[in-house]
Amino acid sequence: MTAVAQPRASAWGRLRYRLSVWRREPTVLLGAVLVLILLYLVVAPLIAVLSDAGQVQYGDEEKAGAAAGSVTSFYLWRVFRSPVSQLLFWEPLVHTITVAIGVTLVAFVVGGSMAWLVSRTNVACRGFLSTALVVPYMLPSWTFALAWLSLFKNDRAGGQIGILEAWGVHTPDWLAYGAVPITICLGLHYYPFVFLLFGNALRRIDSQLEDSARILGAGRFTVLRRVTLPLMLPALSSAILLVFGRILGTFGTPYVLGLPVNYTLLSTSLFSAVRNHQQGVASVVTGVIVLIGVAVVLIDTRLVREQTRFVTVGGKGAMDRRSPLGRMRWPATGLGLGVFVVAVVVPVLVLALTTVTRTPGVFRRGNFTLKYWIAEHLDGAPGFPHGVLRGGDLYTAAFNSLRIVGIAALVCGVLGLLVGYVVVRTGGSRLSGVLRQVTFLPYLVPGIAFAAAFLSLFAVRRGPIPALYGSLALLVIVLIVTHLPYSSRSGISAMMQLGREPEEAAQVCGAGWLYRVRRVILPIQKGPLVAGVLLPFVSGLKELSIVIMLTTTGTQLLTTLSINLVDFAYSQMANAVVLVIAVVSFLATYLTQRLSRTSLASGLGG
Amino acid sequence: MPDITLTDVSKSYGTGPAAVTDLNLTVPDGSFTCLLGPSGCGKTTTLRMIAGLEHPTAGAISVGGRVLDSVERGVFVPPERREMGLVFQNYALWPHLTVARNVEFGLRVRRMPARKRAERVRQALTAMQIDWAADRYPAQLSGGQQQRVSLARMLAVDPKVLLLDEPLSNLDAQLRLEMRAELKRLHAETGQTIVFVTHDQLEAMTMATHVAVLNKGVLQQLAAPMEVYRRPANRFVGGFVGSPPMNLIELGDTRSGTEVRRQLDRLRPELLPRVAAVGVRPEAIRIAESGPADDWVFEASVGAVLPTGSSWTVSVTPTSGTDPSASAPVDGGPELYLVSYQDVAATTGARVRCRVSADDLHLFDDDGARIATAPAPAVAP
Ligand SMILES: Nc1ncnc2c1ncn2[C@@H]1O[C@H](COP(=O)(O)OP(=O)(O)O)[C@@H](O)[C@H]1O
Ligand SMILES: [Mg+2]
Repeated sequence: MTAVAQPRASAWGRLRYRLSVWRREPTVLLGAVLVLILLYLVVAPLIAVLSDAGQVQYGDEEKAGAAAGSVTSFYLWRVFRSPVSQLLFWEPLVHTITVAIGVTLVAFVVGGSMAWLVSRTNVACRGFLSTALVVPYMLPSWTFALAWLSLFKNDRAGGQIGILEAWGVHTPDWLAYGAVPITICLGLHYYPFVFLLFGNALRRIDSQLEDSARILGAGRFTVLRRVTLPLMLPALSSAILLVFGRILGTFGTPYVLGLPVNYTLLSTSLFSAVRNHQQGVASVVTGVIVLIGVAVVLIDTRLVREQTRFVTVGGKGAMDRRSPLGRMRWPATGLGLGVFVVAVVVPVLVLALTTVTRTPGVFRRGNFTLKYWIAEHLDGAPGFPHGVLRGGDLYTAAFNSLRIVGIAALVCGVLGLLVGYVVVRTGGSRLSGVLRQVTFLPYLVPGIAFAAAFLSLFAVRRGPIPALYGSLALLVIVLIVTHLPYSSRSGISAMMQLGREPEEAAQVCGAGWLYRVRRVILPIQKGPLVAGVLLPFVSGLKELSIVIMLTTTGTQLLTTLSINLVDFAYSQMANAVVLVIAVVSFLATYLTQRLSRTSLASGLGG
Repeated sequence: MPDITLTDVSKSYGTGPAAVTDLNLTVPDGSFTCLLGPSGCGKTTTLRMIAGLEHPTAGAISVGGRVLDSVERGVFVPPERREMGLVFQNYALWPHLTVARNVEFGLRVRRMPARKRAERVRQALTAMQIDWAADRYPAQLSGGQQQRVSLARMLAVDPKVLLLDEPLSNLDAQLRLEMRAELKRLHAETGQTIVFVTHDQLEAMTMATHVAVLNKGVLQQLAAPMEVYRRPANRFVGGFVGSPPMNLIELGDTRSGTEVRRQLDRLRPELLPRVAAVGVRPEAIRIAESGPADDWVFEASVGAVLPTGSSWTVSVTPTSGTDPSASAPVDGGPELYLVSYQDVAATTGARVRCRVSADDLHLFDDDGARIATAPAPAVAP
């Protein structure tokens, strides 16, 4: 009997010992609470959306032929096999893949060649180009779409025609709307990804490898083709998949440019399902988007792992290597500047011009006006009967944006650091691993799918958690969760760099937990904390695809206000609002870099 | 007052092998105790458990009768209440505070009045001869200077126990020598209990009053340094302490093995069945023609003579003792190293006669444990 009792008593002792350790060290408790909350916020929405996909929704009882709440395959049938499935799913799927491939190509060609120019050649204005070429990513993604319409729009859709039409040049539908413009616009927005990732990899590649090839007699272009490009493969595949993943969840551009010709992508199809209260269908589409998103990330990690045999970056031979371009130097510089002009100057200029001209494209004295900005009253615009800067709408939206994004960014920054703290302090334990994984989970799910999932979860009251739909709190939570992977990753790396010793030294000196956090951790981590707040703030300001699903007329943000104006076909005012966002987010990005000296690349999460 | 007592302490990280196994160790009050062992043997883990930064999976730790950890009884005193000082291997100074503020930290935590605080900081910095750097930031100091600051930081709070984790390993040779003397002086002045971790046996020998040798998480021996050196508890300790290392001769078929077996057979036949290996310190092997009768004597050919300035290290290969005329190709018989403090006239290939006094043979059994030898009985020639 005692032989049995002995180990049991010891297990009890061990448990008691553990408990008294945990009581003294809040880290474990903190970590456990974090895991639980995050697990709920990340996993529960996905479960909710999946269960919605398999249950008859209210209002669908007749169509599904079953009582609400009963299990059904009706939505699966509707999305994949029914007469409307072409429209609901298959066409959008094909379109999404088409656009994604096209965008990836554009981004790769533009970003890759620019990266090579800037980091490997003696192109002129290198300093300027290396910053300027990233600017398109600082603009909201659908800026380009609105600029495109302002240039190429024909009279097919309502609202004002574009500048070319105004000049008497007829623009065909395929040029004005649909696949071509969507691809180009998104390509212009996303090439900075490739530019940055590629530039990094090119700079860090071991130039001795290239030199060896040159010594063996290979020409410059042979080296590029046979040595450099293959070595860049990991960066390449990463960039491609990253861009692909983003396309999956992007909403603004396909909405603006696709809607007039009914060219839908999965994201816009999901949006209309949600808007039409087809919760079951929306859930199925969300599921598909999540699956594709997960697949993309898994393939990426798989490829990266397989390609670790290519790890040749770093090392002694890694140095700035710039080959002279010779006679091509100035043409190449021109090309670089040309990309900047096309991707930044022209769109911004066009948008700005449309907001100050009555008839687009006519630059005569009498045609200029500031009424779209400041008029007290605008005729023929019942939905928004005043200049953008008049009335309360812009300011309310701006206030909402700043408030929501601000709170979310603050929480993100603190949460990221907390996660980093717990991961490092409990390093090697199961808790540390779980926390790492949970915070990474949202990375697998495109933002728009997350928003739809949150809608499923919080549309009704569940247990103690109230229905949050339409509240600002829901927007804050969604923004936090979708940014969590980036925040926690940078929090973890900041805390890793610090290590646990500085805190332990304080502990040995007699400092309690709060004192340590206040006097040691926070002061040392001030810089990373500032960056950890500012980066999500900047990206949150431009966020559209996530918030568009969850805002109601009561909770308008800057981005949704602009899309609203597009819906009303008040293109000048929509353009004006996008300009405001662009200016604010550009300034915020610039400030962030100045304040925290972080590179933009870390904000891309690339 | 505060003896540090570790009772049956074990620690394993996750599912890996135990970092520390059933450690029983008493660090006497006022001692300068050194935890010595190869890298990865659990020294840091032990030190951190004493400080309360790691938590044992079994066992108990107490200081001066006060239980700090007891897994069985569920007692845990957090590090901040243990009143110990710990100097980290990488110093762990706070980068955002000046040197003076670093040292002041512990005093602020204790809410000492400002005037007294300033005085203590000055004292501690002066004691470590780093007062001139009071207003600098850690990043502006060299490794050795940071080391002093980190010591001053712990001295300022006057801990009962001072724990040092390889404090000298990041210093260059000259500084290391200085700091060794400094630490020894410090210990003499304050009389504090100091637990010191190192993988450098010379450091342990020169500084400690007590040495605890660890291997793979298991305590091998706890004794005064000279005792550890003179009477190593087992083969591991014998081989680890001393430089150049002890010659370990298996009682197998090798030449030296055969030779030493013959010697044991002559002197301690009753022990022979238990002996698996014999250890001989290099400095115990003399090159001499004559000596006491119970010496182990063997002929050897000289491999290489390596003068170090103060001594000569010589590698020798025993030739067959029965047939001194036989040439001695190096055919697998292990080379022995000897250290001589007199000029070795011999050169490579020369034949010499080596002697080891009977007391200098360390006998180890099959498990590697030391076989206690009563003073050798007088032997008739
Ligand atoms: N935080 C940790 N997580 C997992 N294993 C650890 C950790 N710290 C130490 N170990 C392992 O425990 C063993 C002892 O480590 P340590 O006490 O640091 O050795 P030493 O200080 O003697 O070099 C090593 O095998 C090491 O790998
Ligand atoms: Mg160590």
